[in-house]
Amino acid sequence: MVTEPVAVVGMAVLFPGARDLDAYWRNLAEGVDCVTGIPADYDLPFPGGRGGFLAELATVDTIGMGVMPAALPHTEPDQLIALHVAQAALADAGGPPADPERVGVILGRGGYITAGLARIDLRVRVAHQLLVSLRELFPEVDDAALDRVRERFAAELGPPSRGAEIGLVPNLAASRVANRLGFGGPAYTVDAACASSLIAVQQAVGELVDGRCDVVLAGGVHHGHDVTLWSVFDRLGALSRGGRIRPFDRDADGLVIGEGTGVVVLKRLADAHRAGDRVYAVIRGTGVASDSGGTTLMHPDSRGQVLAVRRAWAAAGLDPAAPDSLGLLEAHGTATPAGDAAELATLREVFGPGAPAVIGSVKSMIGHTMPAAGIAGLIKAALAVHHGVLPPTLHCATPHPDLAATRFRPLARARPWTGPRRAAVNAFGFGGISAHVVLEQDTSPSAAPVPPVLVREPVRVLRLAADTPDDLADLLDSGSSQGNGRCRIAVVEPTERKLATARRALAAGQPWRGGDVWFSPRPLLPEHRIAFVYPGLEADFAPQVSDVAARFGVPAPDLTADTLARHGTALVAVSRLLDTALRAQGVRPDVLAGHSVGEWTAMVTSGMYDATQLDAVLAAFDLDGFRVPDLVFATVGASADWLAPRLRGEVTLTHDNSPNQCVVCGPAEHVRALLTELLDERVLGQELPFRSGFHTPRLRPYLDQIRADSDELTLRPPAVPVWSATTVAPYPDDVDEVRALFYRHLLEPVRFRPLVERLYDNGVRVFVQVGPGQVAGLIGDVLRDRDHLAVAASSPRRGGLAQLARVLAAVWAEGGAVDTDLITALPAGRSVRLDLGGKIVSLGAEAPRLLGVGAARVVAEPVRDLLRHTENATLAVLAAARATTPTRTTHEMSLRALPYLRDHRFFEVPPDWPDQYDGFPVVPATELLRQLVVAAERTAHGQVVVRVREARFQRWMAVEPAVRVEVEVTPIDGGLEVVAHGYARAVVEVAPGYSAPPAAWPVPAPERTPLLTGRQMYERRWMFHGPGYQGVSVIEGISDRHVRGVLTVPAAPGALLDSAGQLVGYWTLEQYDRDCRTVPVRFADLRFSGPAPVPGDEVTCLAVVESVTGTSVTARLQLVRADGTVWAQADEWELRRFSSDERVIGLEREGGTALLGEPHGDWVVVRERWSDLASRELIARNYLTRQEWEDYTAVPPRAKRDWLLGRIALKDAVRARLLAERPQVFPAEITTGETEDGPWVLGRHGFTLPDLDVAVASADGVAVALTRLRTATGVGIALGATPAAAAVAAVERAERAAAGNPLVSVDGPDRLLVKGNTGSWTVRTEVLPHLDVVVAWTEERS
Amino acid sequence: MTTDTGVLDTVAVLIERVLDRDGAAAEITRETSFQDDLEFESIDIVVLGTQLADRYGAAINFPRYLSTLEIDDIIGLRVGDLVDYVESCVDGP
Repeated sequence: MVTEPVAVVGMAVLFPGARDLDAYWRNLAEGVDCVTGIPADYDLPFPGGRGGFLAELATVDTIGMGVMPAALPHTEPDQLIALHVAQAALADAGGPPADPERVGVILGRGGYITAGLARIDLRVRVAHQLLVSLRELFPEVDDAALDRVRERFAAELGPPSRGAEIGLVPNLAASRVANRLGFGGPAYTVDAACASSLIAVQQAVGELVDGRCDVVLAGGVHHGHDVTLWSVFDRLGALSRGGRIRPFDRDADGLVIGEGTGVVVLKRLADAHRAGDRVYAVIRGTGVASDSGGTTLMHPDSRGQVLAVRRAWAAAGLDPAAPDSLGLLEAHGTATPAGDAAELATLREVFGPGAPAVIGSVKSMIGHTMPAAGIAGLIKAALAVHHGVLPPTLHCATPHPDLAATRFRPLARARPWTGPRRAAVNAFGFGGISAHVVLEQDTSPSAAPVPPVLVREPVRVLRLAADTPDDLADLLDSGSSQGNGRCRIAVVEPTERKLATARRALAAGQPWRGGDVWFSPRPLLPEHRIAFVYPGLEADFAPQVSDVAARFGVPAPDLTADTLARHGTALVAVSRLLDTALRAQGVRPDVLAGHSVGEWTAMVTSGMYDATQLDAVLAAFDLDGFRVPDLVFATVGASADWLAPRLRGEVTLTHDNSPNQCVVCGPAEHVRALLTELLDERVLGQELPFRSGFHTPRLRPYLDQIRADSDELTLRPPAVPVWSATTVAPYPDDVDEVRALFYRHLLEPVRFRPLVERLYDNGVRVFVQVGPGQVAGLIGDVLRDRDHLAVAASSPRRGGLAQLARVLAAVWAEGGAVDTDLITALPAGRSVRLDLGGKIVSLGAEAPRLLGVGAARVVAEPVRDLLRHTENATLAVLAAARATTPTRTTHEMSLRALPYLRDHRFFEVPPDWPDQYDGFPVVPATELLRQLVVAAERTAHGQVVVRVREARFQRWMAVEPAVRVEVEVTPIDGGLEVVAHGYARAVVEVAPGYSAPPAAWPVPAPERTPLLTGRQMYERRWMFHGPGYQGVSVIEGISDRHVRGVLTVPAAPGALLDSAGQLVGYWTLEQYDRDCRTVPVRFADLRFSGPAPVPGDEVTCLAVVESVTGTSVTARLQLVRADGTVWAQADEWELRRFSSDERVIGLEREGGTALLGEPHGDWVVVRERWSDLASRELIARNYLTRQEWEDYTAVPPRAKRDWLLGRIALKDAVRARLLAERPQVFPAEITTGETEDGPWVLGRHGFTLPDLDVAVASADGVAVALTRLRTATGVGIALGATPAAAAVAAVERAERAAAGNPLVSVDGPDRLLVKGNTGSWTVRTEVLPHLDVVVAWTEERS
Repeated sequence: MTTDTGVLDTVAVLIERVLDRDGAAAEITRETSFQDDLEFESIDIVVLGTQLADRYGAAINFPRYLSTLEIDDIIGLRVGDLVDYVESCVDGP
């Protein structure tokens, strides 16, 4: 039976990257990838994980929805999002429905653990579990202590409610909508896994067709980024390892999880026509089916899918197999190999061959939104039908082979939809439930005419005001969208990235002007003045102003610029148009000026001419007959003063533009000769694409062409002062003097730089470039480091209105009063950012004390003094009596015992890599030192360690596998000798108390700004340290001799001193390009003048470098507490420098992509890039797996070098091959070995390699390795002194046998023919430069 | 596949200074376009050239490099192109 058609009359979404329907369509059409890393506040413990997240887009007007702030923590956020999106969909449909009694709400929603449920679970179950575990672990802890823990835990979750959690029941996602909006139709959620929302649509269609409802809101809701869902998918192996979802790509390796909500407003088509509604698309048929006993519940199967698709097409009364049955199939497309294969089988079976159609999946852009996936696809398809555009699908560069047997192809870029606009949508769920919807363009004669495309909606600008930058930051975080105060920030078309920029700017507290963020902590207006500056001719001229002309109801200017006169006329016209537009929007100048011909524009806009008279003269002017001298102009990237003495021949200076730019004019050959000379002085010059002699005396004979017209024009005093760049003063009052100055200006140089300086001196701080070009940039160059705003009202990068909006936002941020109809504020006031993530409860800094263990340590100061005196007396007696015998203790050094060492791993490994060995976790020297100190302190009974002398560290203390270390403390003269056998030793001095701290060193001068901030140093992996060791929070200053910064004591023990060492390490990295990775190896003298600062304390650190050798950096350091007292001082803190060059550094910072080997086609060559054994060992640790390391240690010393190079070559040959298709391949993911049959390679821990033939050869510090997809013949590569010797060796390796005395003949340049035992081999050869060695590799055998 | 994190980081910080936007370097990658993403103007390029010369010394002749490019190349110039150039000057034979 054919179903009655149903119209989609309204739609709304909230999906990753899409705040609303417009943004969603823009993202779809432009192919925007909205998949990102996990936002920090989602608290998802999946390092490196990626997905589709709403993050800051999840901002809704909760109070407007009747939810008071206090109730918010007990409300499921997805209900509020559903309501928010439903309201937007209704608004999109044209407002509230006529009869609310007959409106239904049906939403797909799964039974996943959502944010609200997770919170009550924490509060009820996890809190209880925590106490049970604590009681078991610490039986001695009393109930009062446990109560403290419980209270602290509960406090972190906010105040409890009295039963408000009943609001968490899942069906409220639909019921809350009906309740709030007063709908009387059915309101419920449906759960059919990933098919949910299309089943909701089917139900909605049924309600309409059967006449039970007149309007139904249908859609899907999914906001369940919870650790449970992620873990389940991860264990299934369904998550893409690379974090990229690539539906229908040959190499698709799984999905990424998304979130979002979409709602459509549905009506019977006939009703929609009667009401004159806009119809996005018409739903012709829906179909639902289940796999009838498919292979397993979880395995996708085509049977149910085929049935669902056929049912939908039958309901539509259409034949899916017809040649042009559809133009777009929005597929389920999970990008799991099994899912994609099953879906393609279904499509082949139902649609068969036919006219080519487009296949796509929005999952490639927003991730898999689970029960909301169907509505995400349906809205995409409806928008495509509506706009007549076929949108692209991302990451599908190498299409799935099964696509070839279907009529469907993915699109890489959007294209117009020319054929009949019919689309179909798939949504297939776990458990074998499938749904399909057919929709098409409303082509019926009674369809409402599609309204014309609107002039773009106003630009959205977030505008916040407050008294201080900090208050602004709070406003921004609270999702507010207004406020009052002096300080202002405007963010144009806010995105997460721009808001992040805004936060950075606010945190820095310095003005930020540009990149769509305008922030002024000390606004320039209204105290200061605004100048309009009109540009002159420049090389480029492509202004976009037609939308501005349309908006302000004036004809668009003629932009033809093929002759000098036309170019000038068009330029002036554009400037005048923008001048009108700016003034209409409330931006009014106090002063006018211009650059070159722009100065004349200023005279025009100031009203010095009569507009009517002027336009008549301009219209009559012979633009094509205007003659000028044949002289060229060139801009020069230097100041006019610098250039003047270098001018030769007939070249003259015409414009003094800025400290870094001037313009010259002269005969072409003279100018070009000058530019060539300047290049040798590192100065860039650029010839401009037009010729004339303006601003030179050589123009004088040509002035007669304009003199008659010009003198005829009546002159009046300007309405706003116009400044001259000839006199660097305002235009005179006297008319004759004005005329004289007008001509002088045409013949004399433009003194733009002095003009800008003078305007600044006269109180101008806001400069608006009124017209196209780069004059604002010049102003910025003149006023560099002086507080001002220079902004252009035209940009080649965006439309005229869009750029105008940026000017308005910028001027507003400076305190200016502007009209805001072009820059709508974001929806006002009460919006709240919903917390959609999970939550990991932290008990806070007090945590260690909650159980009472630390409580005993908190003793009042006077009591402590008394105790210390008593103790000291006792200790003196004890010390005298004690024998000088050593104390021995054994320590387990392992990740289990010292879990924080996970943050002290040298090498990058894939996320969630199972083998800790590969990251090379080691105990940092400072932590080992701390343990030595603790061991010493234990034997010293209450005394404190005040000094450590001659602490030396002999070798890496690697903790995977675990090691046991014996620590021996022996009293010696003047202290305690502490030895960690095999690893480290030190002499520790203890005393009853600390002595007075030394004076803090002065800050050395001069210093420069460090290249990086502390945060950047870690983010960019200049330092490998994880969060527990990231103590450097600010790098304040650096010079060739010192570095200083602020350390925030990190959580890991020993991390404070380690962070101090990192500062010196950073200094080395910034100072040197090579051999710049360092590790502390010796502290000659370290004194403490107080107990160690605790985590969270801030300590400043100054390191003065005393000496640098090829293998060491030695510095002295002081660590100073916040109160200005020195806590610790180190003399001769020595770091060892390890060999590194750009490849080794690359490997440190980008372990998954950087290679030590240099690829040459399918082979790589590796040279030894290190000069000493320790550096070699570090490289070996980086490249070799546990087993390979054991093999390496068994290799005889002299053979170790080439053995290692060979293995590196082998791994990098494989990595280079795989990196062509994968974003990252780490050395640890591959293991290598060698048997009598030659070398082999294998993937590790689930990483599978293609079948490869590999060959490797190494000798004398160089190794080569070759990989090739496996063939029957094998491959060989070899090094040799001559091409023939190398070629024979390569063949021997390929044949795995000695060749005897083979026949070698030349087969072309670098190509030999070698007759071996198994056939005749083509062997290629290449001389390795600088090494005097030939590499030969087999190519083919005949 | 070489890597150039070191030079990239340096260049990003210099760009940040030219733009006078504290923290802008964090958003700069090899793919960042001077024109489209950073909204660089010619004058900014000149100033950046001066800064590069200060940092890397005589080996860098950024103006000469630019003079070898076609206008379309300059318009499409990405940070990675500049990094490659700097590396070729600093590491070259």
